[in-house]
Order: sequence, then structure tokens, then C-alpha cells
Amino acid sequence: MKTYLSSLRKAVNEVLAFSYRNYAVTKNEFYAIFEMLFWPVISMLTIGLLGQFLSLSSREIAFILIGVISLSVIQIVQIDVSYVVLLDMWSLSLKYTVVTPVPLYRMVIGAWFFGIFRGLISFVILVILSQKFFGFVLEIPLNAIFIFLTGIFLCSLLIGITNCTLILVFGRRAEIFAWTLTATIMIFCGIYYPVNILPEPFKTLGLLIPITHFLEYFRTFYGFEATWQPLISGFGEVFVYLLFLLILAEVSMKRARKNGLVMKLSG
Amino acid sequence: MLAVECRDVWMIYKNFMEKGFVALSGVDVEIEEGELYGILGPNGAGKTTLISIMSTILVPTKGDVKVLGMDAFNETKKVRERINIASGIRLPWGMRVYECLKFYALCYGISDRRVIEKLLQDFELEKYRNVRFDELSAGNKQKLNLARAFINNPEVVFLDEPTANLDPDVAKRIREIILNIKKEKDVTIVLTTHNMKEAEMLCDRIAFMKNGKIVAEGSAEFLKRFVKSKEKIFVTLKNNNDKKALKLSHPYEIKDNKVVVYVESAEKSLAEVLFSIKSAGLEIESVKTEEITLEDVFVELAKSRQ
Repeated sequence: MKTYLSSLRKAVNEVLAFSYRNYAVTKNEFYAIFEMLFWPVISMLTIGLLGQFLSLSSREIAFILIGVISLSVIQIVQIDVSYVVLLDMWSLSLKYTVVTPVPLYRMVIGAWFFGIFRGLISFVILVILSQKFFGFVLEIPLNAIFIFLTGIFLCSLLIGITNCTLILVFGRRAEIFAWTLTATIMIFCGIYYPVNILPEPFKTLGLLIPITHFLEYFRTFYGFEATWQPLISGFGEVFVYLLFLLILAEVSMKRARKNGLVMKLSG
Repeated sequence: MLAVECRDVWMIYKNFMEKGFVALSGVDVEIEEGELYGILGPNGAGKTTLISIMSTILVPTKGDVKVLGMDAFNETKKVRERINIASGIRLPWGMRVYECLKFYALCYGISDRRVIEKLLQDFELEKYRNVRFDELSAGNKQKLNLARAFINNPEVVFLDEPTANLDPDVAKRIREIILNIKKEKDVTIVLTTHNMKEAEMLCDRIAFMKNGKIVAEGSAEFLKRFVKSKEKIFVTLKNNNDKKALKLSHPYEIKDNKVVVYVESAEKSLAEVLFSIKSAGLEIESVKTEEITLEDVFVELAKSRQ
């Protein structure tokens, strides 16, 4: 029992290490605060004003605003997960993270926890501002908000792990994905429109992305229809992709240790 | 028990479409527990690759590596809990000294503040605890990196060129710190360097690496015995006369107006060397003798293996 508790405490500390690192960097670096508020607020204001100019109804405005809020939240949370590799890559210190006994999955989960914290702050600020400027009312039950955010945060975890994996395979040049992958994915999952309007095969592609289903789930509370059981599809896809990506990330790390990429990313 | 054991370790760096680069070719190493083992060699010899493999950062193309009796690549997590490495002076720049140590302490499951406080004290970093890593001097960055390497109280520590690019006084202090830790904790230390004097001063045993291979291994004294010459005679000439006529029966080098002659015994050969120089019509300004250094051994070994 004592051994079990001791290894549990160790595992918790290993996870918390990566939450702590992201916290320390956010506290010390202005850009980390900037990226959390500046672009999300700009996006929300421009899209909201566009909606007003086009005289959209309140439910249509809610439809597009939840798209822009989700995009911002996902971008913030996924970048925290991507920091597992990005921070070390920028400071050429990846080998010191690699040499610790922390498994990759604990690193990403720790970073993700702090990402959730930052994402929640952003979500609350954006919802408040949307309500103030554009009359967006979050008129859905609290448990539904919780389910929606859980889905969105899990999707961010998937994108963050994908970014880490891409850097471990392709090196520095893959850094660009950390800044572009979320927006690219959002094109296919109906950020400002229902996926039904997308031509094939993009519509099918959209349905293979779990964010699509969580957005549809949220929009059902504003009178829009979902394609098919959004929560089952969303969480089902998340589970499958998460398993696949965690294995892929471990394989990529091993490969990077074999071909010397770890050393290249360490200066 | 051996602290580190490498058997026929090969490392070939290969990426998509790239021709492989052989960094290590069939390296065998045995390092005893509690030993301070030095790996010497010029840039590109394979020192960093070897130390990175021993510390589980890299996976070799071929070969077996055991650390503290455990397979480094099948029991990686267990090995990593008991080892650490300091290589270069780069750490996450967005963090302060205390935060940096706390992060790495948590990575080893350590949440006790006293561990960090002790390291700050041991490595003379107390007054820099709230300074960002990127604002530290090179010497303090190295101290922080060394402190980080001892955060999990490792049984084996790998130090990759710990005094490279440091001012002589800072480098001296770092060497003192390494020796103190070695004495206090009885830890096995494996260090790479291309500073011969540092290796001679710190290491119990030294391995010479060249082109991905270990070309010689032993204590500094053993390695000096390994080569024929034991002493050097330095002869400074009065002028830059034509030295082409100079012929000596011992190995020698001429640089500007200095002649360095490698002999088994300076006492026995001095008269003969001076006579040869005078016979060649060269005037002598001064003469001094010196024991050969590790550097001379290395140069001779490098020549003999080419």
C-alpha cells in the first residue's frame, strides 16, 4: 500500500511538472498572456461585427460566435500541449526532458491541465464580451457546457499531441503546424457554417473530426440539427484518435532517439 | 558491479533519403562504480554521441548498453531514475533559476523544497534564485545545469564538456565543485572533454576517442607509459637560420625558432641532441626539459592510428 501511494505521488508530481513549467513560462513571458487574450478578442469582435452588419438573427449570431470562441479556446489549449516539445525545441534543451523518467503521455497530460486552465479563462472572457457586445446568451444547461468544453479540451489535446509528434518526426520545420493546424482543421468542421454545406469528400472529412460533433451538440441548444448522435460520435472519435496518437507519439520519440533528431533539437 | 557497460556499440545517423553518417563504430566501454571516467577526443570524435547513448537519450543502431546492471533500452525508465546528464549550458529560457530546478525536481517525483534549497547552496546559486535563465552568466548557467544534473541524487552522472567556453577561473571552480561532489556522494561520473589538463586532473581513467572509436584507455600515468617518449627537450634557437640541415635520431618538431625533441630520458639524450643541433650550424639560446603531457600522448596516438 505504501509503495503504491509512493508511486502514485511520484506519478502525480511527474504530471504536475509539466503543468508547472507552462505556468512558470506563462507568468514570465508576456507573449503567453498576449496569445491568450489578444487574437481571441480580435477574432470575436470582427466576427460579431460582421454578423451585426449582415443583420443576422440572435441564434445565427450564436452559431458563428460559438465557432470563433471554440477556435480560440482550442488554439490556446493545444499550444499548451505543444509546449511539451516546443519550449524545449526553442531553448535547445529537449535532451533534458527526454532523460527524465517521465513518459510522454504524462508530459502531455500535465501540459494539457494548465492549457485547460488558460482555455477556461479565455472561454469565460469571450463569452462575457460576446454577451456584452452582441447579446450572445449562453442559454444552455451547465452540464451541457461542461460536456461541450470537455469535448473541446479533448480535441485540443489531440491537436497538441499531433504537433508534438510532427516535430519529433520532421524537426523544427514542423513548428508551423502548432500555429496553423487548428485553423486548418476548423475549415472542415463547420466553424461558421454547418458541415452539410461542404462538398464531398470534405463533408465526410468534417464528420471524421470530433470538433464537428461537439460544435453540432452545442448548436442543438440554439435550434440547429446535428448530423448524428453528436456526443457518441465525438467522444468515440476522441477515444480512438487519442489511443492512436499516444502510440504514434511514443514511436516518434523512439525514432527521434534512434536517428539523432533529439540531439538536433537540443543544439 | 559495473556502473556502465557498452558492448560493440554502433551509431549511424540516418534520416529520410540521407546517406548514413557513422558516429560510433564498435565501441566497448566498462566503467566501474564510483569511478571518474573521462572521454577525451577532438571535435567530431563521437564523445557526445557515446555519452548520449549511455544516458539513454539516444538509441544506438547496434550494440548493448547496461547502466547499473540494467538494460538501458528495455529498462529505460528505471535507468533514468538513477542517472542524469549535463551537456552544454542550455535550459528552458522562460524560467527562473528556482522554477527551473523545481520543474526538474517534479520530473523525478520530488516535491521537497529542501532538495532545491540544498542544490542552490551547493552550487552557489542562492542569490540568483529569481533570475531568469537567459539572464545568467555562462558560468552560472553551467552551475545551474550541474545542479539540475544532481537533482535526483543520481548514482551515475554524465557531464559533457562541463567547462567548455568558460573563463579559466569559472572553469576551475566548476572542476572543484565536481571533485567535491565526487568525494561527498561517491557517485560515478563520466565526463567528456577536449581539455587534456582537465582530464588529467579529474579522471581516474581516460579513454581517447577518434573517428568514433576508442583508440586507447587507462589512467593518465598508464597512457603516458603507453607511448615510447617520456620527456621533451625544448631548444630555443638564437636566429632563424636554415634548419633544413638539422637531423636528429629522435622524433622532433620545429616551429619558428623552437625545436621540440621527444626522448625516453632527457638526462641521457640531452648532450647528443645539443651536439646534433650545433653540428647543423644552429646557435642555441636556451634549453629546457619537461615530462610529456596527456596532449602529447593523444597526438602520438592519433598519428599512430591514422
